[in-house]
Amino acid sequence: MSVFEGFKFRKVSSVVHDLDPRIKFFFVSVLFVMAILFTKLLALTVLFFIPLPFVFMAKVNRQWLRSLRGAAFLAIFIFATNFIFGYFSPASFQGITPPVDTLVEYLVLLERAAAMTLRFVVLIASFSVFFLTTSPDHLGLALQQSRIPYEFCFAFTTAVRFVPVLADEAQTIMDAQKARGLELERGNLLKRVKNYIPILIPLIVNAIRRSLELAESMESRAWGASEKRTNLYELKLKRADYILVLISVLMLLLAVYVWLYVSIPSLTTLLSL
Amino acid sequence: MSVIETRDLTYTYPGVTKPSIEEVSVTINKGDFVILTGPSGCGKTTLCRCFNGLIPHFYNGDLEGKIEVAGLNVVDHQIHQIARHVGLVFQNPENQLFALSVEKDVAFGLENFAMPRDEMRKRVDWALQMAGISELSERPPHELSGGQQQRVAIASVLAMQPDIMVLDEPTSFLDPVGAEKIFEVINELNKKLGITIILVEHRLDLAAKYANHVIVMNKGKIALTGSPREIFTSEEARLIGVGIPKATKLYQHLKKHGIRLKAVPVTTEETADLLREILKND
Ligand SMILES: Nc1ncnc2c1ncn2[C@@H]1O[C@H](COP(=O)(O)OP(=O)(O)O)[C@@H](O)[C@H]1O
Ligand SMILES: [Mg+2]
Repeated sequence: MSVFEGFKFRKVSSVVHDLDPRIKFFFVSVLFVMAILFTKLLALTVLFFIPLPFVFMAKVNRQWLRSLRGAAFLAIFIFATNFIFGYFSPASFQGITPPVDTLVEYLVLLERAAAMTLRFVVLIASFSVFFLTTSPDHLGLALQQSRIPYEFCFAFTTAVRFVPVLADEAQTIMDAQKARGLELERGNLLKRVKNYIPILIPLIVNAIRRSLELAESMESRAWGASEKRTNLYELKLKRADYILVLISVLMLLLAVYVWLYVSIPSLTTLLSL
Repeated sequence: MSVIETRDLTYTYPGVTKPSIEEVSVTINKGDFVILTGPSGCGKTTLCRCFNGLIPHFYNGDLEGKIEVAGLNVVDHQIHQIARHVGLVFQNPENQLFALSVEKDVAFGLENFAMPRDEMRKRVDWALQMAGISELSERPPHELSGGQQQRVAIASVLAMQPDIMVLDEPTSFLDPVGAEKIFEVINELNKKLGITIILVEHRLDLAAKYANHVIVMNKGKIALTGSPREIFTSEEARLIGVGIPKATKLYQHLKKHGIRLKAVPVTTEETADLLREILKND
């Protein structure tokens, strides 16, 4: 269940970890917008480097690389579909007169596919910085201070809290059922799906029992006692947060300016000149 | 002065016909350390749920008879009103902690009371210290050992400064060392802060020495009630299957063979002292 490892957030402190999650989210959203604005490989390559200083400052290099590796399969898929789609309908590309036959035309296609892939990688790279450096607690707090109803924020943090627990439980049930002779990897697709029923039922029953006990415990600790709850923690904007806002706004302005007034060359045209 | 008083309390869960507790009448005094014991399924948990209003407000069902806790009529008050006076600690430590850090869990009840942040911070630190887990304050609860989790659960109830604390088999998921620690913490709360304790427990060997009042339930009814020594030496307790402490069992065994200790021991230390005395006299 290594998929769920990412949910076990460790308490770490760094400049990046201590940033206000709302500001961090704004920054990442600016990166997102920029990645959508630009289609050229050159521009996207520049974008790819922007989250890197944050990765190093937060010392999350290893986890960050792991999430990129996790996205590799999807990246290859995006590259292949873009290339194949471009090959069969090349008319929509500048610099290609169908059919695709010259080397330059192949290069144009390749560059375009690489750019689309890089756009995806940029999104993963920046959002994973956000998730790797924001504790779910912080995130819940941010949601709450953004005037999202407390019930929703509570549901969010509790869900995050119980993902690893449920994952462990699923593993235990799977082992128990295998020990009784259940073979998960046997038969055709339909059969395989059916194999999971003896896993799912105890898992669901347990989850329901668990949620009842949780509700009981919450009630016993005065859930709903007052209209307006207080909170042990409070998010306050610090200097680093203001600096990041400034950086984000400047980046966005610059990006819009470049998008409107500067035509970014493609690598193929640059090289073949 | 009594803090809990029930008269002929009978409760039936919704959708079942047989009552889970029947005509329960108990009186618990302020500052008492009560052990509630009895075979599994005899209605201990059900009675605990009555003490803080989970029954009838959370479980619905059919409640008859009278119950007054900390001067409040449970039926007429909401759970969160009763929660200011009664704290409940449950059996499974895992399912009563839901925050992502220990201190946040401990603060949960206070947040619900809308306590100002500074005061809340003081209360949380105090409760953590009382439970002996100050150094765990920023850890995620689900990565702690069962014993530590249970102490977090105790701290999270203690932070609300209740008059009464009800603990439903808090040690059944723990090893003996963890259990012993829990009992010590509970005992401190009782002796130092004067909190009335109701402890549901099977392991009387470890817990009995702290109690001054034992209630034995059987099949939904109160079977016996009295001081630990009275209960542990009674024939009925043995027949019901109460986990009588080994020290007391040894006392009875010796008595059968004509050796009379001066008092009824509950702990090993007491037994050792009494035996030494006898051996000296011989
Ligand atoms: N939520 C429930 N719904 C219906 N019946 C219940 C519920 N909880 C407990 N019971 C029944 O009530 C009786 C007493 O249970 P309980 O109070 O849990 O006993 P104990 O804690 O002493 O083991 C049992 O027969 C049990 O099956
Ligand atoms: Mg029980």
